[in-house]
Amino acid sequence: MADEPQEYIKVTYTKPRPYRWAAGEYLSRLYQECRDNKKLMTVRCQHCKQHVWPPAKVCGRCKKLSGNDWVEVSDKGTVVQFTYTNFPMFDPHAGRYITEEYPFATIDIDDSEIYWVARLEEKDKSKLKTGMRVQAVWREEDRGGGLDHDILYFRTIEE
Amino acid sequence: MARRVAIVGVGQTYHKSHRPDVSQMELVNEAVRPALADAQLRMKDIDAVYVGNMETFEGIYLPDHSMVDFSGAYMKPGFKIASGGTTGASILEEAFHAVSAGIFDKVLVAAFEKQDSGDSTGAITAATTPAWGKGQARGAIHEFAKQALSYIKHSGATEEHAAMVRVKADKGACRNPYSHLKLGLKSVDEILSSEPLEYPLRLFDFCPQSCGACAIIIATEEEVRKITNKPVWIADTICVHQEIFRAGAFCDFTDKERYSQEIAAERIYKRNGITNPYKEIDMAEVYEPSDWEEMLIYELFGLCPRNEGWKLVEKGITEIEGEWPVNPSGGVLSSNPIGATPTVRIAECVLQIRGEAGEHQCTKDIKTAFATALGGPNWTSMILLKRSL
Repeated sequence: MADEPQEYIKVTYTKPRPYRWAAGEYLSRLYQECRDNKKLMTVRCQHCKQHVWPPAKVCGRCKKLSGNDWVEVSDKGTVVQFTYTNFPMFDPHAGRYITEEYPFATIDIDDSEIYWVARLEEKDKSKLKTGMRVQAVWREEDRGGGLDHDILYFRTIEE
Repeated sequence: MARRVAIVGVGQTYHKSHRPDVSQMELVNEAVRPALADAQLRMKDIDAVYVGNMETFEGIYLPDHSMVDFSGAYMKPGFKIASGGTTGASILEEAFHAVSAGIFDKVLVAAFEKQDSGDSTGAITAATTPAWGKGQARGAIHEFAKQALSYIKHSGATEEHAAMVRVKADKGACRNPYSHLKLGLKSVDEILSSEPLEYPLRLFDFCPQSCGACAIIIATEEEVRKITNKPVWIADTICVHQEIFRAGAFCDFTDKERYSQEIAAERIYKRNGITNPYKEIDMAEVYEPSDWEEMLIYELFGLCPRNEGWKLVEKGITEIEGEWPVNPSGGVLSSNPIGATPTVRIAECVLQIRGEAGEHQCTKDIKTAFATALGGPNWTSMILLKRSL
């Protein structure tokens, strides 16, 4: 281990790195709603009647076709677990090290069977608590990059 | 009628973070040669070669093709398997199926990972698709951080218990000539004061990235009698796949889901007439990426009731000298050449059953053992090994 702490240099890439990727019928519907209406939508499985998350053609619980009962999902929830990384990690999707990372939380989304792992806006570790209430913060412009792009993070809310 | 199959030779390299002195192919050769020597066989005696490696981790394509001279596969049938963490067990399972079915008589399996090349954590992170999970995945460590949180919540285990698992692993590693990390840990405080990685995991709670290779030779019963008087029989193998839990790959904080480990254990015990694994099996080498996961694994493989894995640690039961040793080799917490990690688990069980593990030989006589592998969204492979069938 080096005696001196290493300094990480931040390099900004400006060259676009486009790629094509088919999200599929079900995810695409969610992403379109996010982009156009800032709305979270998913399908309720026609067999178990529970929310399938992320929306998918096959229900992970029943292993059967989940059907087409599309419903809106709340963008509020309760933090049930949270973690944060203490070292820079390479993100191959972004092609860079993530040095100033948001904490990640498993969020129990209101009125649903959905547990969603997403970023938290709150970076002060002393303020992170299980049971805290959070709400999604939407990107105002340039939406359409998928859920992790369109929703910036979840913000702590007082209720 | 399935034929009986035994392991007749094992070989492994020493494990280390960097091996600039060898190429990938030379590393594999370093394990193949001692395996052949152990079985007193030559490559001309081997019918097929199965290679295991997570090639995306090194970022090269078809390593099995470029290393036929080094793995011994030249002009022989066989293939490569890349099934994540279970890779090194999958090759043995497939070889076992082929020999058992009468397709081949003697098969060599060779697995490796050379993590000083490429970026394993980056590759694992890239296992999420650009359409879902992009920007969310944080390698394996993120999932095991959540696993630890869930385990704390349900079992009441403390950080000290996890640290005790780590100290146990290090004790074994320091006695194992092949181990990567030999830290000489004296107390749990050293783990508790190590650098935080991802809350609640610290540096010493998690497995290292190692370079290493491991090879195993298996043979059908008829051939076994000609090769060795110390065969280790493959009683059974099983592989169970699982989709990601509702909120993570390796944990279920709702405590409602069933784990692939439970299903694998249930099936393999039933098929082999085992009703009490704690009494009927002597030890295990398990795939434990973190010290927290090892405690959960005790429970899922039926060694103790749910949420009581930490009690085995507290009582020292799973130590080398203990009543039911787990990972006397130092385990994955000490050496983790990913593709080869499960192969090492199997090879270590073989050494224990033969009584040839040297300084890390278990105190009790080992007649039956199981080796496990873990990978992907909690996939499980399990290999049941016996001194006599």
